[in-house]
Amino acid sequence: MQASDRGSTAETLRRLTVAFGEFEGLLDQTPLIRRLTGGRFELSHYQAFLVAHRQQVKDGALWMARAASNIDVGHMELRSLLLKHAVTEHRDFRLLEDDYAATGGDRRVIETAEPGVGSEALSAWMFHEASRPNPFGLLGAMWIIEGLGSIKAAEWGRLVMKRLGLPGDAVRFLTYHGENDAEHIEEFRGMLDMVLPDPAVADRIVKCARVTARLYALQVEEITA
Amino acid sequence: MGLRDVFITGAGEFLPGSPVPNARIEDVIGRVNGRSSWIGARALRWNGVQTRHYAFDSAGRATHSNASMCAEAVRAAVGDAGLQARDLTYLAAATTQGDLLVPGHAAQVQADLGVGPLEIASFQSVCGSAVMAAKAAWLNVRAGEHQTAAACAGEFSSRWFRPSFYEGTALIDGKGRLRPEADYLRFTLSDGAGAVIMEPRPRPEGPSLKVDWMEVVSLAHQFPPCMWAGGAPDAPDARQGWSLAGPVAGHAAGSVALLQDFDLLKRIIRAWIGVYLQRVDEGRIRPAEVDHLLCHYSARSIRREIVSLLEATDGMIPEERWFSVLSEVGNVGSASIWVMLSRLLRSGRVKPGDRLLCIVPESGRALVGFMMLEAV
Repeated sequence: MQASDRGSTAETLRRLTVAFGEFEGLLDQTPLIRRLTGGRFELSHYQAFLVAHRQQVKDGALWMARAASNIDVGHMELRSLLLKHAVTEHRDFRLLEDDYAATGGDRRVIETAEPGVGSEALSAWMFHEASRPNPFGLLGAMWIIEGLGSIKAAEWGRLVMKRLGLPGDAVRFLTYHGENDAEHIEEFRGMLDMVLPDPAVADRIVKCARVTARLYALQVEEITA
Repeated sequence: MGLRDVFITGAGEFLPGSPVPNARIEDVIGRVNGRSSWIGARALRWNGVQTRHYAFDSAGRATHSNASMCAEAVRAAVGDAGLQARDLTYLAAATTQGDLLVPGHAAQVQADLGVGPLEIASFQSVCGSAVMAAKAAWLNVRAGEHQTAAACAGEFSSRWFRPSFYEGTALIDGKGRLRPEADYLRFTLSDGAGAVIMEPRPRPEGPSLKVDWMEVVSLAHQFPPCMWAGGAPDAPDARQGWSLAGPVAGHAAGSVALLQDFDLLKRIIRAWIGVYLQRVDEGRIRPAEVDHLLCHYSARSIRREIVSLLEATDGMIPEERWFSVLSEVGNVGSASIWVMLSRLLRSGRVKPGDRLLCIVPESGRALVGFMMLEAV
């Protein structure tokens, strides 16, 4: 017996929170993050991090827009929200490029870098999932990626500045996130309420969160410099 | 013999001396370089402690040892159970730091208790050591190995907080101030001990608590040390610790001090919540069925975001069911859970059938202990 009904918003949010905890565990064990937390982090590592993230951030708004286009008329409100998100975020990859340039890197390097294996896998998975009819599972992917933005990014940004002594304008992508966590949860709960309760949808959302977490961690794991 | 039900039949505490209010903390533990702390007030606002106890008198002499406080708590607990210390056949003792580096804490407690021969076990961790010792006592009685077991836990944290531990070391900054990672704990931890008695049957009079389950979950594979002593302040790494550097060089490097990494603590709090919600999701913890929650973190010290998250996931246990004596007795580390339990049992608030959930988070290297108890 569970504290709340199968497939409810509360139960799903709980499973997603556990999944996010596992994701943090995966990230903390990647060589790059170990360097960052353990103090052996150099400028080349940060630059490689920016390069590796550009593709995924660039694709983020695109898969969100594709997902919105596959949402039926029964869920117009969710479609609107995804489209708004896509508009808000579709230029974010420029921040990564600016940060890269602010560290003294050559813009052409980040603009033309070939995506890594992890980035390819993550991107392919997102577009695949977004191409399904009513791709509600992607809410799980958003939970992971936005959680990363609101929880981990600021933490990493502070560490990067501390370790490398960089000015704020070289760490904008990491530090401009980190808005209020409580608001983030509230907004996300609203989106879940649009598709739940439904045990099958809930399972897909959690599954999608886990796959996204795994592939994202793979992308970070691959970053070498 | 199959596995037996086990009951907590007595609980006791020992807090040395009289309560020390916030304004007098530094009169007892001392002022580093003769100056008042600049972060003490902030630490106290965050932890919410009003009074605590120290095993030092006003002249700075130790009034007790960690072991003698534990022995007093065990005497109080056996008395509460209607037994005598000589009825014990098993003693599990927990602490963050025993009086001596060698031998083990349990041997020192037994010696102060003055009973034996006994089977003993020492558990060294931080707050969670209390649950490790309790689990050993529970399983020993459950398996039929012992009839009357005691689990105790004690701390003499304030020893670490005297100025000589910091002065002239790398923990003092250019302005002569103590680093916050060290100073914060001086206003957070204090001294005392607690104990429980376990038997395969309830006591004849008064409430007993049937042990439903106990679990200790460590996430040390994911985190570096968050609260430590013995390692250098910027790199709690055994290779640079006091034990290799030697006591004099170790002291100079700031390795002979208790330290806390605050940024890491925030991450670890999220990890604790993750473990807790996983237990809720598995149905092992049902928040709606918990009548009393004992946790030595105050609800006010948990950030608003975490409370919203717990509420949104049906994981929150309403604040009126949280029982805490933190503000009066201070944070006595591993002893906290037994001091709380002993006071809850004496409060008359526990009715037969009530379910008690004890949560013991340990920041040391990210560990959390759980105990589920049912009043009979």
